[in-house]
Amino acid sequence: MIPVLVCAGIGLYAACRVVLEPETPRKLLYLSVLNFAVAGSIVLLVPDIMALFAAAAYFVGSTLESNAIASTWAGGVKRT
Amino acid sequence: MTPELILGLLLLIVGIAAGAYPRTRDYLDRLINVEIAATGLMLVLLSFNETISLLTFVAVTALATAVLIRVIERRSGI
Amino acid sequence: MMEYIIAIFGIIALIGAFTTYLRTSPFDKLIGVAIMTGGVIPFVVIKGYLDVAIVIALVVPVTTIFMLQASRRGMR
Repeated sequence: MIPVLVCAGIGLYAACRVVLEPETPRKLLYLSVLNFAVAGSIVLLVPDIMALFAAAAYFVGSTLESNAIASTWAGGVKRT
Repeated sequence: MTPELILGLLLLIVGIAAGAYPRTRDYLDRLINVEIAATGLMLVLLSFNETISLLTFVAVTALATAVLIRVIERRSGI
Repeated sequence: MMEYIIAIFGIIALIGAFTTYLRTSPFDKLIGVAIMTGGVIPFVVIKGYLDVAIVIALVVPVTTIFMLQASRRGMR
């Protein structure tokens, strides 16, 4: 149970840093740290092989979401 | 009183307050605030072991968001 | 030991909900929704519904991408 607690603590620290940052690009940096911590703790919480696929699905989804926010903040796809 | 039920009711109260009294009077901000209440209701359904209901609610929330975004774009971005 | 882990994820979800409510920019609000989803998914996993966790983790970013379509139009 110690590794799960370490992962959750890193996630809590990253969430506090996301809230306290005033600028949007720095928020996205610590949001990716939070996503790594949550994906790691999903694998370590349940002793089942299906948890691996759940963590992979969460990782793909959260990375897609974060990259979509960053791309739209930078100006989006130029329409020709 | 499982932890899921307590957290779900807390998120539901915060989401209802945010949807009723938003900071700015904008349609998009209010729609994002409604998402909090949807997550809280999803957690309440989880605590009562309603699996099929939870799957249906998540799918219908995504579809309703797509339709409402289309309406908001047509209304505000003439 | 399990109570502390549940409490930490609950605190993460509440932080996400309140930062979604209190910020005014649409991008900051969507980042708050992402934090709240990251706090809620481990509750589904602890309960044992791993297939439901997969569906939620794949549907919520689609909702965010739908909202980003309108926020770009309003920003510029």
